Amino acid sequence: MGAPNSIKPFALLANGLVCVIIAPWVAADMKSLDDSALSNVSGQSGLSLELDLALTADRLSYFDDGKGIHLEGFRIGSAIDPSGQAFHLIRVDIEADASLNLNYLVEDRRIEFGDIRLAGAPGVSMGGIFFDHSLQGYLNIRQGGFVGGAGYTFDSAYTMTGGRLGYRTNGNEVFLDDITMNVEALGVTLDVVGDTLALNAPRVTGDWEVGAIRYSSNPLNHGVSVDSGGGQLLPSYGSLSGSYELSSSTGITAGGRSGEGLRIDNETVIHSASFLYRDDGNALALRDITGVYRINDLRVDVATDWQNRPALALTLGSMDGEFSIGAIEVGGDGKSIGQVNVSFLLEDHVFDGRSYSNAVYLQGGGHPDAGPQGLRLATEWSLRLADFSYTEDGNRVIFSGLQSWGQGDVTVNVTRDGVSSGTEFFDGLRIGFEDIRAGYRINGLRVGSDDAPLQGGTELLLALGFYPAYEFELDGHITLGAGGASGEGITINSDVSIRNGKAAIIAVPYDEGNGEIPQKGLWITELDYDAHVRDMTVDVTQEGLEIIKGEAWSTMDIGNLRIGNKESGRSFGRFVIQKYETGSSMTVVPGGAGDVCAGGMGDSPSACSASGGVWETRGEEGLTVRLKQVLAKAINEARKNSLTWETNRQTSGVGGAINGTGTSLVLNDIHTSDGGDFDGDGVDDNSFGLRTDLSVDVYQTRVVKKADGPDAMGVVGNRGDEKIMDGSSTAGYRYVSNPTIAEADNRPLGFAVKARSQFKELSINTIDLVHPVGGAQTAVYGVKMQNFDIKANLTATPIP
Amino acid sequence: MISILRRTSLALTALLLPLPTFAELSRLGDEALSGISGQGGIYLSGDISINEMGGPIENSYFGRCDDADRKCGARFAYRLKENGGWMVLDDIRGNFSFEGLTLRVRTVDSGFGGDGELFNRDVLELGLPNTVRFNDVQFKISSSSTARPTDPGFQQTDIFSVDMRGDVVMEGSLLVFPAGNP
Repeated sequence: MGAPNSIKPFALLANGLVCVIIAPWVAADMKSLDDSALSNVSGQSGLSLELDLALTADRLSYFDDGKGIHLEGFRIGSAIDPSGQAFHLIRVDIEADASLNLNYLVEDRRIEFGDIRLAGAPGVSMGGIFFDHSLQGYLNIRQGGFVGGAGYTFDSAYTMTGGRLGYRTNGNEVFLDDITMNVEALGVTLDVVGDTLALNAPRVTGDWEVGAIRYSSNPLNHGVSVDSGGGQLLPSYGSLSGSYELSSSTGITAGGRSGEGLRIDNETVIHSASFLYRDDGNALALRDITGVYRINDLRVDVATDWQNRPALALTLGSMDGEFSIGAIEVGGDGKSIGQVNVSFLLEDHVFDGRSYSNAVYLQGGGHPDAGPQGLRLATEWSLRLADFSYTEDGNRVIFSGLQSWGQGDVTVNVTRDGVSSGTEFFDGLRIGFEDIRAGYRINGLRVGSDDAPLQGGTELLLALGFYPAYEFELDGHITLGAGGASGEGITINSDVSIRNGKAAIIAVPYDEGNGEIPQKGLWITELDYDAHVRDMTVDVTQEGLEIIKGEAWSTMDIGNLRIGNKESGRSFGRFVIQKYETGSSMTVVPGGAGDVCAGGMGDSPSACSASGGVWETRGEEGLTVRLKQVLAKAINEARKNSLTWETNRQTSGVGGAINGTGTSLVLNDIHTSDGGDFDGDGVDDNSFGLRTDLSVDVYQTRVVKKADGPDAMGVVGNRGDEKIMDGSSTAGYRYVSNPTIAEADNRPLGFAVKARSQFKELSINTIDLVHPVGGAQTAVYGVKMQNFDIKANLTATPIP
Repeated sequence: MISILRRTSLALTALLLPLPTFAELSRLGDEALSGISGQGGIYLSGDISINEMGGPIENSYFGRCDDADRKCGARFAYRLKENGGWMVLDDIRGNFSFEGLTLRVRTVDSGFGGDGELFNRDVLELGLPNTVRFNDVQFKISSSSTARPTDPGFQQTDIFSVDMRGDVVMEGSLLVFPAGNP
């Protein structure tokens, strides 16, 4: 420091005030100074600054290589009174160690931007942001940073109450309401290292709570909890809370991806954290979170995206990390589903011959029909590798080698019910997708440990709509409305369209350890999929997570069902699946299958064993999904349940099959029923539907050798021998003809799914054969299935 | 080659039908004969039961399995003629269990007496478990005047009943692949 000693206290004082008040140049509204003598501050009892602050600025602009971003309608003032002032009281002391101490109290302050615009994008903007709060805390600043005497060290702690953080577009708002927060950060250092500003926070602890997440469609409301018209509390998505202890180091360097700009590098270690979402008092809790992530070379520029549109560009060199969630609890009684670990690496990578990187280009506008304000995120991502593992009752399954890539626009608007320029909007936060071309794939499952062999098993999750690989072009939206089936919660309306999709029903690994290979499988290709959902509510209930669909209809047009290669594999023909459901639901409940008699029958270990089964105690944790699909009777050609299989199609000039030119088998108007009209309304009741309960566990199972001689790994055994895991064996296992009890304890782990499907009545109105020239002929005049209750216990392991 | 595969598939499809008289087929052993691409796949063990204690309907016809006056099995009815009578598989219930049902996609490009090399295609392979244990698998084949047994004017004639128990040997693989013009 070359500054004279007498200047130092004032420099520190100015620094501190910058931290407490964002706009330190405003001294106009200071009311009183308790201590007027500013000279010889050191060693005195300090001074107090009290001010009522109201600040407005039409525009704040930032320019990067000549390109500008403008923050318009900037205001600091009272949160309650739009023309009022925010109260500040700051007590300044110089401590005995020459450090500067600021004790501050801020009451009823709002900081807001009415709008954010980019130069060169006239007529559209990103919308407004507001942040309300009252603060009480201290900031202590002393000389000397992490690497020596040239830097600064900060200690800070504060409590925030009455917080509110909101986003507003076109008169509609979504905001976090009633935020309270306690933060303590001690020993934070700020240094200049080379050309980098290094901010090091060795320990930051805190807890926070969001009383409600509210939505308003009344343009007269702005940052208020109660509707100005009806006087009612605005509807809420639910409440949030959490706590954390973390440490981080951040480097900030001048220079963007091109020319001017900013470079950020960061490493953060989460020593402990928790996150709770509450819906009418019932919690979804993520506990015992630990992890680390590293951001390498994140650049901030005002630039243009790949379509030359002006944007605030966030481009990432790479990011990697791993997280562990010690318990996921859902429902009223705090039962845990299990633990989750995620590791990931985001960095540039070539997928399918095209290079992808990680970037978000923030732009104004949102959906063009929703109004001029909104967010458009032109996004590209490249998830080079991620492993997702799930552990329950100490047993682990790893979804190994997850990769994802894509590019396209995501739009964000806060919208209200109505049709504008031909587009239907719904109440809530609308997340739109425009021309997103993306995909994902997983290499396979590993059960037990990271080095376990790859295996299939995701096929057992197809009932939940999970495909092991998927490529698609996506358009549409999902709108998240406030309020669930009752009280707090989420209401979803969605319209999604997928074109040129390729999804795997069964997929072999894309990398078996010797580099990437074309992924073989059973593929649905040339897929066009339109899906619509109305009034789907999501609530956390006493039992678990409950999703109820008001009305849902979709058409899945599979141009070809191919085997082998997804591009060139031979085809089974075209399949069209139409679905129309009313009142369907899904409930996710913690806890798996519990006690199971696998391969036999009986309610006790002895009865099970006597029937030839194996009694399995699959433990407390695990996951159960209860699906209810109410297949409604057809109301028109677009809203019905049907299955069409078409073959022998004519081919176009480029070799593709022309849909509608072949011969079809049509299962028409498939629907469920309760088996009669019991409420006397003249229509068969239909509330039971097709019910499927899926319980997922990771558990040991019997694996028997099917043929004499060596298996795929070269391990020799006889037909009928059992596979027993043995770390002392080269392959990690051996075959045993009659395992002892100790050996049976080392049976291999499998991915265990217990399923139960029930329906009272499932009907097919007709089964028709349709010829392109001859027309439709009915082959079967009705199928009626009644009183089915099918249970299956299946455990998936690698093929030995 | 294709003819061999078709015959194999046909034979194994027949084996999948619950007819114990087919239990004498000799082992195919094509595992060692064909090249395998792709290690994934799954080995499934478990059991499947139909209406172990009864189904979800309780009325004058359907009930729990400990109620001797009612049927507790599932019912499957279809008709081939408009306004005609219904063919019915009635009172379907039972339990069967297996170890080692495998499922994978593989390339057949060798084996099968040299035909595999000519065939050279991907197939969906359902590797059959060596034995399937049937516990009281039963159903009735009937004809009925109405689809629902609770409809007015319901009349039904049970033609014959099937009851299966014991082990059924199912060896080899069921290979599924496209043929013809899609």
